[in-house]
Amino acid sequence: MIFQTFINGLLIGGIYGLATIGFSMVWGVMGIINLAHGAYIMLGAYVAYVVSDRFGIEPFLVVPLAMALLFVLGYAIQAAMLNRVLKTSLLLSLALTFGINLILVDLVVMGYTSDFRAVSTRYASAALEWGDAFVPLARLGACVFALALAWAFHEFLARTRSGQAILAAALDREVSRLMGINPSRVYAVTAGVGAALAGAAGVLSSMIFPVSPHMGNSFLGAVFVITVLGGIGSLGGAILAGFVYGLIQSFASAWLGVNYQEVVAFTVFLLILILRPQGLLGKKFFGEGQ
Amino acid sequence: MTTASLRGRPLLVLAAAACLLALAAVPWLAGNYWMRILTNVLMYCVVAQGLNVIVGFAGYHAFGNAAFFGIGAYALGAAEVLGLPFLAAIPVAAAVSAAIAALVGWPLLRLRGHYFAIATVALTMAVGELVTNLGGVTGGAQGLALPLTTDQSPDQVYRQIYFLMYGLALAATLVVWHLSGSRLGYALRALKDSERGAMAMGIDTRRAKVAAWAISAALTGAAGGIWAHWMTFIEVSSAFDITLSVKGYIMMLIGGMGTVFGPLLGAAFFELFSTLIWSRFTEVHNLVLGILVCVVVLALPYGIWQPLRRFWQARQGGRA
Repeated sequence: MIFQTFINGLLIGGIYGLATIGFSMVWGVMGIINLAHGAYIMLGAYVAYVVSDRFGIEPFLVVPLAMALLFVLGYAIQAAMLNRVLKTSLLLSLALTFGINLILVDLVVMGYTSDFRAVSTRYASAALEWGDAFVPLARLGACVFALALAWAFHEFLARTRSGQAILAAALDREVSRLMGINPSRVYAVTAGVGAALAGAAGVLSSMIFPVSPHMGNSFLGAVFVITVLGGIGSLGGAILAGFVYGLIQSFASAWLGVNYQEVVAFTVFLLILILRPQGLLGKKFFGEGQ
Repeated sequence: MTTASLRGRPLLVLAAAACLLALAAVPWLAGNYWMRILTNVLMYCVVAQGLNVIVGFAGYHAFGNAAFFGIGAYALGAAEVLGLPFLAAIPVAAAVSAAIAALVGWPLLRLRGHYFAIATVALTMAVGELVTNLGGVTGGAQGLALPLTTDQSPDQVYRQIYFLMYGLALAATLVVWHLSGSRLGYALRALKDSERGAMAMGIDTRRAKVAAWAISAALTGAAGGIWAHWMTFIEVSSAFDITLSVKGYIMMLIGGMGTVFGPLLGAAFFELFSTLIWSRFTEVHNLVLGILVCVVVLALPYGIWQPLRRFWQARQGGRA
């Protein structure tokens, strides 16, 4: 039983981690708390729902499409609106992303109503047996896929010019400008990649959770806690904290009941704030000084 | 410049007086529907002004003022259950909120920037969970039904609530107006620019910050208390609703933070428009509201109030 709870928490944790990376990077690099991040996750889930429902395509194969669409959306929103606001006041980004979230959620409600949807796969009920525990295949696949994407993002940051530019802008905006980096473009790329990862997380979670226009809101709460837990702007921290959060949630609901799931999560949240406000793997990032 | 702003004053006073009179006449001129909406607008005026004190003046981004709204609501509910009359319970709600803000503000206001903002969100959730699990006089997870002891008709109750919100919004604005010229106000603005600089000037920054948050909490708590009496039934999910914090914040931003009248304009603008939009485009009201927020933020990054005032002054200056 303990082992089963452990596995459940771990498998969900991978998706939580992936869902958090974009939010955490955007916060760390630009100081923007993106309230529309949950909507990005939701849109990813809807891409999976629409494509796999209509064309019967394997949800895992929809990930690249969802990522491409959300990259364009995240990039466009940053370039057209958020970059402009950043020049005046960082805080306005909060009002702006709040508005964007309302728009995105309502557009989906208009197109697909508020009904709960499900993305079903052939292997939805298949599971590996490991000792006395079951490992559901869909969840295992989603978790592995999430980790692979996180690793790919890490490689992107470490090896490509764009990735290095993002890290440089995150460390020091002014000096990065002196190095010939265009902050506006870097920000747009960061926002685009962040949205793409959120979209991927949405596709993966559509196989596990019910899909609805408002699913992003509950995700946003979790993503917020995980970001702080892992350290704002830290990729490794987001993944690690995603697992920690998944495990906490899973054990809390197994031992104390589902009602206590959130009490425990927020207790941990408060403890982290008091004991280690920079998070598990946090270090100083540009956005933090704001 | 000074003469221009002086000449602008009578107009401003006149406009404010006209607004006050019109609002005072609302219960006799408008139907219950509009009185209800305006009660809501006035409530958000108080919430936005409360945020203005801690965010606009002190620069501490309190995302979680819903905590004090909820505390005020539950304090009033508990006081009424224990037999206190409504009007006497409102100061209790304000005082309890202020006391809790001072208590938790002492450690929390040490956190800076984003961390303070996050901590206030966590505070809202923690207090909400606490109330849910506390039970007893708070009603716990079942919610709290306030005792109906009054022999007033519903119309009289709604009118009373309207005037209480009206008075509270006025009081909140007077507090902010007084603050903007007071020692505490200058101390807060100084520490907003540079906390170390303010300390070097001999300002007890911690006391100033705690005082600002307590004032903010007292206003928000009183609004929460009146709201609880209005609703007659409260539960944790509606009293500690984080949306209230976010909405109040956006109203303050749209209006112009750190100004005396900005938050009022922001609250009226946001709440009236969202109601109008809701009644006209029920299906897509969030969409329209979202577009409106985006347009306002992009077009008026310093809020509605500042450009309005500048326009005013420019016109006065041009005439002179």
